Amino acid sequence: MRIGLDPEEQSFRADVRAFLEGYRNLNGFFHQDERWPEVKGFYRALGERGWLSLTWPERWGGLGLGPVHEFILWDEAAYARAARPPLSAGIVAKTILRHGTDAQKQRWLPGIRSGELHFSLGYSEPQAGSDLAAVRTRAERSDDDYRVTGEKCWTSYAQDSDYLWLLCRTGAPDSRSAGLSLMILDLRADGVTVSPLPTLDDAQLNEIHLDGTRVPAEQRIGAENEAWKIVAEALADERHVQFPPRRLRRDLEDVIEWTRAAGLDRDATVRRGLADLAVEVLEVETHAMRVLAAVQQGRAGAVEAAANKVAGTVLCQKIARAAVEWGGPAAIVRGEPLEFLWRQSLWETIGGGTSEIMRGVVARQGLGLGGRR
Amino acid sequence: MDFEPSPDQSAILEAVETLLAQRAGPERAIELAAKGEYDFELEEALSEAGFVDVALGEETGFLEAALVVEAVARAGGVVAAGARLLVAPGAAERPLPGPVALATDRIDRPVRYGAHARTLLVADGDEAGVVRLEPGEFEPVPSGYGYPFGRGARSLLDRADSLGPGSGPRMRGWWRVALAAEAVGTMAAALRVTVDYLKQRRQFGRAIGSFQAVQHRLAECAVSVEGARWLMLEAAWQGARPEAAAVAAAHATTAAARVFRETHQLSGAIGYTREHDLHVWSMRLQALRLELGGAAAQRRAVAESRWAGGA
Ligand SMILES: Cc1cc2nc3c(=O)[nH]c(=O)nc-3n(C[C@H](O)[C@H](O)[C@H](O)COP(=O)(O)OP(=O)(O)OC[C@H]3O[C@@H](n4cnc5c(N)ncnc54)[C@H](O)[C@@H]3O)c2cc1C
Repeated sequence: MRIGLDPEEQSFRADVRAFLEGYRNLNGFFHQDERWPEVKGFYRALGERGWLSLTWPERWGGLGLGPVHEFILWDEAAYARAARPPLSAGIVAKTILRHGTDAQKQRWLPGIRSGELHFSLGYSEPQAGSDLAAVRTRAERSDDDYRVTGEKCWTSYAQDSDYLWLLCRTGAPDSRSAGLSLMILDLRADGVTVSPLPTLDDAQLNEIHLDGTRVPAEQRIGAENEAWKIVAEALADERHVQFPPRRLRRDLEDVIEWTRAAGLDRDATVRRGLADLAVEVLEVETHAMRVLAAVQQGRAGAVEAAANKVAGTVLCQKIARAAVEWGGPAAIVRGEPLEFLWRQSLWETIGGGTSEIMRGVVARQGLGLGGRR
Repeated sequence: MDFEPSPDQSAILEAVETLLAQRAGPERAIELAAKGEYDFELEEALSEAGFVDVALGEETGFLEAALVVEAVARAGGVVAAGARLLVAPGAAERPLPGPVALATDRIDRPVRYGAHARTLLVADGDEAGVVRLEPGEFEPVPSGYGYPFGRGARSLLDRADSLGPGSGPRMRGWWRVALAAEAVGTMAAALRVTVDYLKQRRQFGRAIGSFQAVQHRLAECAVSVEGARWLMLEAAWQGARPEAAAVAAAHATTAAARVFRETHQLSGAIGYTREHDLHVWSMRLQALRLELGGAAAQRRAVAESRWAGGA
């Protein structure tokens, strides 16, 4: 057992912190769309250092490092409120590395590595949220192409992305998880309509309507009808960066600073509340370390990851809620930092797999309680 | 003991609900919220139909007024019904021109309906005061919480006409009842939207509402809302007796936090978008929860009224 970073990792962290100095509060962490050109600039700068491909094999331009480095980078980026990991360099690239052909690797990896190419996640549909195997968007093969028709929703950043990482049905309508395929769909292709869904944090998600959109067959990643397993692996690849705990440390520090400025830091109730939250922040950090250890050892870590997500996201809401409660009516002025934190944190327990689904994983897989979803 | 509405009460409720069905509702609330506006037309209609006089009516009283306030909140009306129908008659013992906004001495912080009010009722220590407001004396405050807010210079309070000794606690009591009534109507609507959605939303081959883990949480919400409702009606029935009013407000604000959390969580992503009506009510719960000192202050009021005398 070694519960902490080794000297080399610590020195990497120092490098990361120094680099992030120029990107503190870039706020792409919360509001990517407003800041997209700057956020993209940040990704490019990471690309220049090889930090979007930390764990990729050297043969494909990676640094061949382990998940700890990746964790350090994105944990620090969360603390700096710079930005979240781009989908492209995570799920997309790692899946291509594992299941793509050499031609696909050559086609996609350089643009991803440099921070130039960006993807949105095209999983959810109106009828397929928690139940992802219910995906209906249909891809019909004709010669060298697929024609894709269907409806995606709640797609983050589709307005800024180049491609959609599309989960779609190639098998029979009732084939559930056995009839799904993964493809790269050009968001600027014919038959693609992206419409905004305004959200409560004054940003947007998107609906994507696909009407016979052409996807060249060479943009299918992995075998036809085999996507389910690939999607699960990709999820596992990204577990250690899905919910970086330093976001919480930063949230709490912001709240503490605000209680000081508001003269509340001597109030016994507030101090007690802050202490409770601080204990929980440390707890979540240990959950995150357990996930990291599992990924490092090549274990599935599904239970650790579920525990981490549920504990981390519930706590992030608790921190924001406490602040608002102490802040009183001033905390309803739109756009005030604490008010925004509160509104933003609302979706964290939903996006990327809900708390209920996570608790189900802990109960069924962790505790062996059996039962179906 | 009789928990059923009397024929007269049913008639009042039916009448106000008919009016609200025509003039209020989520679409109207969204439209007004986008512009930060107040529903003067709805207030006028409520006034013309006599609903603002229910509390001091010959045949009707505060209990009926509380039922009307609850109904207006359930319909998402953008009018200061609680202030006009309950707090003004309760504190001033006479009707006051609407819109009415309620405040403590901190009118430099966001006051619900402040920017649209003609009458400001201020609870300041033992005395409540009335300030006639001219347009523009309060500036609008941007908020995403379903109500228009405003704030003003504290010097405006120099113009307050006192309602006499003892009017302060009286006003606070009615404010708590009004807060509870609005919270109850709002929670009931948020819960209704969510329950309806989860009855028809299917995942894993069945309605999400049929999952026991989901049912239990919605059931807890329903119990809380029902409890809040009867505590509120009891407080109105008892003329906003300090302890009853504080208990009603304390319970309602706590329930509001739960209902907010659960309705959003269980609605999934759609509840986070403005396409779905949940936010019309849920965001208001957040505003109500923070009014008059927030949940902590309501609890302190319970302790004070129970063990220290006074509110
Ligand atoms: C901000 C945000 C960004 C997103 N970005 C993307 C994106 O880029 N790409 C993408 O594909 N998707 C995205 N999503 C969608 C996200 O993946 C889904 O919201 C999530 O999978 C849940 O699906 P749902 O919202 O349809 O909820 P539903 O599945 O409808 O669930 C509703 C409620 O029921 C609960 N529930 C469901 N099943 C069970 C059960 N068996 N037992 C107990 N409770 C249950 C859920 O936990 C939830 O509380 C995003 C969502 C959000 C909020």
